[in-house]
Amino acid sequence: MNGHVRSRRTLGIAVASALAVTLSACGGATDAGRGGDTAEGAPSPGITDDSVTLGITTPLSGSTAGPGTCTVAGVRAYFGMRNAEGGIEFGDGQTRTVEIEALDDTYDPQQAAANYDQLKNEVFAMTAGLGTPTNRAWRDAAIADEVPQALIMTGDPIFSDTEQSPWQLGFVPIYQNEGEAFGELLAASGQQHRVAILSQNDDYGEGYVEGFKAAVEGADNIEIVDELTYEATDTSVDAQITELANSGADVIFNAMSLVPLVVGALQKAQQLGWTPSWFLPSNTSSPGAVLEPGGGGAFPGIYSVSFAKAPASPAFAEDEDVQTYLSALAEYGDYPEPPAFPHCQWSWMVGATLEQAFTQMEEPTRDSFMEALRGIQGYEAPLMLPGTSVDTTQDGQPAVSSVVVQKYNGRGYDTVESFG
Amino acid sequence: MTLLELEGVTAAYGPVQVLEDVSLTVPDGGAVGILGANGAGKTTTLRAISGTVRAGGRIVFDGRDVRGLRPDQVAALGIAHVPEGRGTLGDLTVRENLRVGAYLRKDAKGVERDIDYCLDLFPNLQARIRSNASALSGGEQQMLAVGRAIMSKPRLMLLDEASLGLAPSTAKTVYDAIRRLRVESGIAMLVVEQNANLAFTLVDTAAVLETGRTVLTGTSAELKGMDEIRRAYLGG
Amino acid sequence: MARVLDTPTPSTPPPPARSLRQTPWVRWGAPLLLVAALAVLPLVGTESFNDTLARIGVFAVAVLGLNVVMGYTGQVSLGQIFFLGLGAYVTAYGVQQGWNVVLVFVLACLLPAVAGLLVALAAARLGGLAIAMVTIALPIVGVPLAKRLSEFTGGSQGLSARFTDAPEGSGLYDDQFQLYLVLGIGGVVFLLTACLVRGKYGRAFAIVKDNENVASSMGISPYRYKVLAFTIASLIGGVSGFLYMVVVQYTSPETMSFGHSIELLVAMVIGGAGSIAGSLLGGVFYVVVPDLTNAVDPSLTSLLQGALLLLVLFLLPGGLVSLPRALARRLRRSPAGRGSAAPPTPPSSTPGSATAAERPQTERQGHA
Repeated sequence: MNGHVRSRRTLGIAVASALAVTLSACGGATDAGRGGDTAEGAPSPGITDDSVTLGITTPLSGSTAGPGTCTVAGVRAYFGMRNAEGGIEFGDGQTRTVEIEALDDTYDPQQAAANYDQLKNEVFAMTAGLGTPTNRAWRDAAIADEVPQALIMTGDPIFSDTEQSPWQLGFVPIYQNEGEAFGELLAASGQQHRVAILSQNDDYGEGYVEGFKAAVEGADNIEIVDELTYEATDTSVDAQITELANSGADVIFNAMSLVPLVVGALQKAQQLGWTPSWFLPSNTSSPGAVLEPGGGGAFPGIYSVSFAKAPASPAFAEDEDVQTYLSALAEYGDYPEPPAFPHCQWSWMVGATLEQAFTQMEEPTRDSFMEALRGIQGYEAPLMLPGTSVDTTQDGQPAVSSVVVQKYNGRGYDTVESFG
Repeated sequence: MTLLELEGVTAAYGPVQVLEDVSLTVPDGGAVGILGANGAGKTTTLRAISGTVRAGGRIVFDGRDVRGLRPDQVAALGIAHVPEGRGTLGDLTVRENLRVGAYLRKDAKGVERDIDYCLDLFPNLQARIRSNASALSGGEQQMLAVGRAIMSKPRLMLLDEASLGLAPSTAKTVYDAIRRLRVESGIAMLVVEQNANLAFTLVDTAAVLETGRTVLTGTSAELKGMDEIRRAYLGG
Repeated sequence: MARVLDTPTPSTPPPPARSLRQTPWVRWGAPLLLVAALAVLPLVGTESFNDTLARIGVFAVAVLGLNVVMGYTGQVSLGQIFFLGLGAYVTAYGVQQGWNVVLVFVLACLLPAVAGLLVALAAARLGGLAIAMVTIALPIVGVPLAKRLSEFTGGSQGLSARFTDAPEGSGLYDDQFQLYLVLGIGGVVFLLTACLVRGKYGRAFAIVKDNENVASSMGISPYRYKVLAFTIASLIGGVSGFLYMVVVQYTSPETMSFGHSIELLVAMVIGGAGSIAGSLLGGVFYVVVPDLTNAVDPSLTSLLQGALLLLVLFLLPGGLVSLPRALARRLRRSPAGRGSAAPPTPPSSTPGSATAAERPQTERQGHA
């Protein structure tokens, strides 16, 4: 009994001191931190006459730490390089350096929302963070607070719908963009094609298939002969491949997000003696991790899409963009190795695209920034492949919606103009 | 008046048949011993009654077949099992352990009275009332285990090796108290005890088990008079 | 009873604080003061302070639920996050359908409780590690299930539900209103749970945890109480899911990923297993530590958290809740103190104390 009263007293003291700390932290300004309405044209938080701070919440630990770390490294490297050159001249005439404040959300939506809460009053805009749930978690809050959530790494179309997401803009192509690009190429081939579809039974697979079907709709030369799905929890798609092989299709549109399943599917098809032309999404078409173990050379053509130069590819070894990028990544991005994930390149492009917006914004406000951000058209960001560009003016589309179709050449990918 | 009757009871642990054919009766208010060598099935017999081992045959308590009931249902009928190794709750104090025994009782006053009775029966516990059970000596833990059984106000108490691991004088203290309890409360008892000399200070009759069968039953006096019993269990 | 006084008492003079402790002012004033402090807190805190506090409340409730089944009843559960996720989904779905919020709240409690009951009915029969194995399956099945049932769950894009903006005319900011909701609902859950674990049921949980055979021999069905504890834990998990939606306002399959279940378990152990105050500290740990490690170095968060975990476990094996006791013990060992026995409380102050003081020492610090 005595023990618990004593601890009750301890607790009381603890609460009292916690209160004291809080009160002193408030510094008397009870409304501190609740932005409220600022006067028209007054600077938004996170921006001064000589610097602007951007916030990122992204997974830096856990299973998605690899790509997550890249989303910070690229943009940090880009602005590190620019800051070293003296900063960026903004549209209002001030030259500012750009600081990055990045927090780890471990791909946990709850933590992402907490990170946003922590950053929103210190930063001018949020950017570059990876993940659909982690960006969705604070989308509503960002709208309510009128904080830009700009050029984030998710293929979720909601972020590119201006009506639903006035303070958001996605950066990378949505799933539909990829499926559509391949569908257009196929429809323009001038030959008859029988297409089999195997897709993941969720919004990922549905997005790809939706884009593909939209592109081939009304094309007389395309017949979809069979369409199957699998679950993300499945460990094999052998049964589906066997069934599709019997359909006599000469093209398979294969929207799968899991590397081992793609490898297994390629192997199974060869076992069955079925070698169609094969489409794969950009994130499961890596030459080293997928096509070599899967025996991609056995097929008449393996197609995927891309919009960024691959720094590891021999084709770009001498490329000036790539060299600048790699050295800045090592020097300013704290990323000494050549990156294993395309997110580093994408994040670098995000930096360049943000710079475009900065040079166009006429007032140091979030409103002005969003306006400038939505006015970029035909901008070929560094590392972009010829034929792709940043276009932020199309409602319903992310900043990069143009992708080029590429074909596997036995070692890497070449951009192709036509199917076959 | 018979309180408990076992007839042709069998039991097995997996493929190992431990009880082949055990039969015995405990009269209301009586005290019956179970004698036998290690592995004869003494402890298993108690477990079969308390429902912790699945059994065959007939186990009738107070006119009701209790075979197949869960241990807690058997306990609720008024059978208190004081298991080998005591099973006191180490994190709880002596008083709390005693209260645990009265878990199913609703008469708060009666519970307090019975706690006082237990403490009177085992004065050692009185001195340790606030200690955690884990801090008690082996003898004190045994007393606590019996005390907890008393608290459930049973009609039958199953006592398993109450003297195990205790110094002879402590074992005697424990048995003296149990004998007093028997006289004062009228609780019937079924007693498994290695030390047959000690057992005979408490029980009126006993059953002798050999490899899972009842081979002999008799009064204490009869059994003590038999040569083979003396040789096997009474040390000469 | 009076003979308790016959036992030799340590010769140290009673600490001067004793008289203070016995005054009714302290007995009743301290909790009242606490309630008053909590009522004022949201009004004086900054927005981010209130947000943090509200999230602490959410996870403290989740840890509390885990404590009921694991800390108090001793059944390893690795699935608590599933019930939080289920409660959050039920809330999000109900709000999107425009159902009455009270109904939504009731469903967010009941559906996880029913799910927990069904799981427990099957799992508790198995006993031992089998329960842990079954509960592992919950989040592992839950995540793909949430992705599949996209009509109800929004698939992998999740569900948003903004339903806790401060009502017009209340004069409160949203964060203040949300914090009040968390303090109110969470406070009631903590109070009820504290009563539960200190009462008859709590005693049965403790006995089942300590020794199932003894429980059986006392007429307590271990099976029934395991099922009960698991069901209550699931219900509390559902409440935490509702609060999750109050504060975070978004749920997705990621919300119930298996890793978070482990984090909840860690938070429970760090806070103090089998302790009400420990659950609160567990919530603090769950929420504040990632923020702290982010402040130190965002690229080393998992490493720093692991180091902190080991540090706490080595220094305070009983969890953070045992810190005051560990400090007190150290103080008592200093020259002034003698003997380790706490001075016995005079009987005059202990009517009914035997029932109040059922739990081991760590618990007694939980009267908060």
